[in-house]
Amino acid sequence: MIEKIKRFIKEVRIVPDDLEGIQKTHQQDSLVFFVVLVITTTASFFFSEMLENPDLNIAMFYLLGNFIVARYTAGYAFGFVFAFISMIFVNFFFTYPYNTLTFSLEGYALSFFAMFTISMVTSFMTTSMKRQAKILAEQEKELMEAQKEKMRANLLRAVSHDIRTPLTGIIGNSESYLEMEKELADSEKRAIVQNIENDANWLLNMVENLLTVTRIDNETARVAKTLEDMGDVVSSAVVRFKKRFPDAELKVKIPDEPIFLMMDPMLIEQVIINILQNAYFHAKSLKPIELKVVDESDSVVVAIKDYGIGIERSRLETIFDGNGSYKEERESDGYKGMGIGLSICKTIVTAHGGKLTADNHGSGSVFNFSLPKETEE
Amino acid sequence: MTQKVSVLIIEDEKSIRDFMVKTLTSHEYKVSSAATGKEGLAMMTSALPDVVLLDLGLPDIDGIDVIKKTREWSSLPIIVISARTQEKEKVTALDAGADDYITKPFGTFELLARIRTAIRHNNKIANDQVNAIRPYSAGDLVVDFDKRLVLLKGEEIHLTRVEYKIVSMLAQNSGKVITYSTLIEQVWGPYADDNNRILRVNMANIRRKIEENPGEPKYIFTELGIGYRMLEDENLA
Repeated sequence: MIEKIKRFIKEVRIVPDDLEGIQKTHQQDSLVFFVVLVITTTASFFFSEMLENPDLNIAMFYLLGNFIVARYTAGYAFGFVFAFISMIFVNFFFTYPYNTLTFSLEGYALSFFAMFTISMVTSFMTTSMKRQAKILAEQEKELMEAQKEKMRANLLRAVSHDIRTPLTGIIGNSESYLEMEKELADSEKRAIVQNIENDANWLLNMVENLLTVTRIDNETARVAKTLEDMGDVVSSAVVRFKKRFPDAELKVKIPDEPIFLMMDPMLIEQVIINILQNAYFHAKSLKPIELKVVDESDSVVVAIKDYGIGIERSRLETIFDGNGSYKEERESDGYKGMGIGLSICKTIVTAHGGKLTADNHGSGSVFNFSLPKETEE
Repeated sequence: MTQKVSVLIIEDEKSIRDFMVKTLTSHEYKVSSAATGKEGLAMMTSALPDVVLLDLGLPDIDGIDVIKKTREWSSLPIIVISARTQEKEKVTALDAGADDYITKPFGTFELLARIRTAIRHNNKIANDQVNAIRPYSAGDLVVDFDKRLVLLKGEEIHLTRVEYKIVSMLAQNSGKVITYSTLIEQVWGPYADDNNRILRVNMANIRRKIEENPGEPKYIFTELGIGYRMLEDENLA
């Protein structure tokens, strides 16, 4: 309700929503008003000297002027004032007796009424036109907002689903430990704590991913970039990945020379870790995962290749959409669903102006992402 | 009986504080803890701990201010506890005088290693004048500060003057993070360009010389947005 009232107030311009802007339009409107008035009056004087019976032409001039003022100024005020001044001027300068105001002329009320009507109708049309254009723009904006909102809601739904499952595990495991501490064998206790640790680690990974997204500017989808060496970022990602999964097999190749790029290093590190993790959990690679950095003329490509089961053709198109593979994977190797991880990768790479692709290479899958080389600021 | 090393934990999150207190107590540390910055500052002056673990997100005072206030009168090692994505805060804390940081969440192993490193470096500052500096050694790498030599598997590695400066600086502070700005200042002087591109180029060269695979470094690790950390000296770990 309050929203509605606010909007109403804005529309009828009781409260200026942007004072400076309003002042500016007022200045412009006054300018239009005076220019038109001066031109009309000058022309009228000119014609009253030239023509024998100029009354009709002069009235037409003022009508035209009135129309223009009403059309190109905001609201009704300028049009009304113009109509009023027109009537005074016509009466004073251009009708007999000259240079006097007479209100006893025949049909004076009628022409006065006509001028006001024209001014009012034009102003009304102009205002409603402007309002409609504004409403249209607002609707478009609302539509975009709605789309954004939908994306956000989707992400939130996926996230809460993904978070609830490990949380259920943690709560269930810890409760059963507390309740049956005495009856449980040591090996069972160990298994329970192990489960809790796994679930907690999974949650941590999830939260880290979500946190990285907050580093991307919501409005502009931009990131804060600094000059970084791609080799440095890759090696840091590899060290962190190996620390978390010591038994993962990796083969890393970076160029000898440093490659300087503008990027948010934490985000790019997250991309590399997510893709590595995806390969580690899902690909069932027979050989070590290969990570290669290739320096190309206008971009740098990071390729992560595995020798595993590959990606189903039907999933290739939607793999970055964020529809978590949580459920499908649950039975095979626990809930290591990377749906959100990969969609976050896509968001990050896109925010850097780069490209992320997934494909099969015959004996496994390969993820490529490229970052453009920019000129330094 | 040897004197126990005393640790002061300043952390408002009870579960984390409890976890640290338990871990450190079971590893023969004398532990005291505070939940607010004010309490922590008071305990620092009264308990005079050997090392302080400080959470940056305290409810009453900014952690950075705690560091600054402490540095007015003491050089006791401060290890900052912070979240992963706050790299700017970490750099600010390190520049304000913190010795090192540890990222939440951390394991027991990491926590103990950081504390050990911090205490060792603090002792070393006191002992350096007395003892000759011992060579750094970890894995196959040896840095002999006396002879200004770097050896990998017993073979001498040829480093440029600048590269050696960087390596020796990191090796003397092994196990501890050294920020980009500190390294640049130490190697190129206080008026050096703040642009760390030259440092990265040198680091890429160093890694190519001492690491088997620069993509999977074993000796010098990058802490993105912050600086570098060298593998801890084996003789001291």
